[in-house]
Amino acid sequence: MLTIKLAWRNLFRNTRRTVLTCTLIGFSLAALILTDGMVLGMVDVMIGSITHTLAGEAQIHRKGFLENLDVDLYLKEPDSIFDIIDQDSAVAEYAPRVMAGGMFASSYNAVGGLVYGVDSVRETGVSKIKDAIVQGKYLSGDDREILIGKPMAELLEVELGDRIVVTAAEVDSGEIAQELFRVTGMFEFGPRELDENIVFINLDKAQQLLAMERKIHQIAVRFKRAADAKNRELTLYQSLNDGKTEALGWLDFEPSLGAMLEMTNYTTLIAGMILFLLASLGVVNSMFMSIYERIYEFGVAKAIGTTPRQIILLVLYEALFLGLISCFFGAILGFGLGSYYAENGIPMGRMEVSGVVLDGNMNTKLALDQFIKFPIYVILLTVTAALYPAIFAARIVPSTALQRSL
Amino acid sequence: MNSVIETKKLCRFFGSDETRVNALQDVSLTIEEGEFTAIIGPSGSGKTTLLHLIGGLDNPDSGIIELSGVNIADMSGAELSDFRRDHIGFIFQSYNLIPVLSAAENIEYIMLLQGVPAGERAKQVREMLHMVGLDDLGDRRPAQLSGGQQQRVAVARAMASKPDIILADEPTANLDSKTGISLLEVMRGLNQTQNMTFIFSTHDEKIMDRATRLIHLHDGKIERNERKQA
Repeated sequence: MLTIKLAWRNLFRNTRRTVLTCTLIGFSLAALILTDGMVLGMVDVMIGSITHTLAGEAQIHRKGFLENLDVDLYLKEPDSIFDIIDQDSAVAEYAPRVMAGGMFASSYNAVGGLVYGVDSVRETGVSKIKDAIVQGKYLSGDDREILIGKPMAELLEVELGDRIVVTAAEVDSGEIAQELFRVTGMFEFGPRELDENIVFINLDKAQQLLAMERKIHQIAVRFKRAADAKNRELTLYQSLNDGKTEALGWLDFEPSLGAMLEMTNYTTLIAGMILFLLASLGVVNSMFMSIYERIYEFGVAKAIGTTPRQIILLVLYEALFLGLISCFFGAILGFGLGSYYAENGIPMGRMEVSGVVLDGNMNTKLALDQFIKFPIYVILLTVTAALYPAIFAARIVPSTALQRSL
Repeated sequence: MNSVIETKKLCRFFGSDETRVNALQDVSLTIEEGEFTAIIGPSGSGKTTLLHLIGGLDNPDSGIIELSGVNIADMSGAELSDFRRDHIGFIFQSYNLIPVLSAAENIEYIMLLQGVPAGERAKQVREMLHMVGLDDLGDRRPAQLSGGQQQRVAVARAMASKPDIILADEPTANLDSKTGISLLEVMRGLNQTQNMTFIFSTHDEKIMDRATRLIHLHDGKIERNERKQA
């Protein structure tokens, strides 16, 4: 108990140094919490950008459709699939789609791309097509409506109300079919490959164009809890992954995003290692300064019978208290900053990361782990960093340390 | 009387070849229990080196040092550490109390190292403070005590482990004459009432006057060894 009391009081022998060291460690912890919060926030934005923009958190197709978007691989009896989805309480919204490659021609130009037939009402629950409209209006259900990306409009040299002919191959027969549409809206998702290559028309018109009757190619799903997209136990995944259909979460149909998320974990790890390396050097420096100042005192302590083990313990207790104080204030600072930026966001400007457009503010995300695991790591690291100075102190030779007196 | 310290042909040198300094050469002496001994001599005569060796803070290059019948010359660092804790008390010139502990805690610290139970420690601390005349100052930190009071705490700390001998290096050097005499009276009293063996390294005539034995060192050798009536 006296050793603990001694270690605690030793910390305040040079208050300025202790405050500076605590500030260094505390700021490192706060910076790590903030970095992790930013990474988690960015991950949320990335996942949200991909899943909420167009793809959905899960997708259901005929097996093999996703590999090369073969229009002949359609869901023949979508109503029975809708029934299964309706029974899954985890699902918030879903929207049926038809997808086919096509040619889009104006009076001046022609481009190739992908035509999406969407249910104008249901689609608003799973994607942001409506939100992405920058000119004109969203689909209302009229026969001849077509939404095109603003860059595509520039390529085709068309304005709102201009005519576009969509040419596509009918399913099964492969017969060429054409329909005339009028541009009712222009959208901008951000990534150019989306804005230049996709058009949206109403679902029933697309089914008519492709001679599909009521058949569809894809059902995009959005869950009540985003995390459920990875929950393989859901009825949705259990019932619909048979030999003919497949129900995939976003990690399955966007594997590159999974790799990117793994990379973000390394980002936290690397940032943590750099911060902690700097903090450790600070701790080692501070402890050595403290020991050099007290070298004579350690000599006396050893002379009167303090064992090397007890000296090591004393220095490690000092480091432990240093770590505890630093973590207390560091966690408060981290929480304060994290909460502020979770509420107000960090201004990031507009940037594109791996095809995902991050626009506006990046809201950090606080997690309980950041306030349990990180402080434990910091304290362990502080104590570990103090081990070398502690061993140095334990090896002080009393007769050398006491040269000025006994 | 029993001898508590016996050295035989003790040698200690520093440096090598041309820079070699013979700090102690063939020093043989015996100190009896209850003696109040002063080692005196000019600077560089080997007083400190001899105290280092007797106190187990350093190892001799040759010779034997027996404390209470145990040869400490060949002990390892850890063995010496335990031996010092249980058998030797130290008093330093500049007090060297632990500044963040109170006077009572400084005295208690060494008993804590010895594993004395808490209740016993508290009792002994009170006794020690009383013995050195600091009954009411146990809660004060060293910075709140005068030099003489700090040195009294150092004496109490040295006594607390119930050592066989107390080694004191110039204990009065930083004290004024009156305070020095007062401290010496305390130590002499302990020597007489508890038969505690004291060995001083000193230039202070007040100590020499009170010492029962004077060992004169010169160039690392015992020049004269005289017993006297204090």
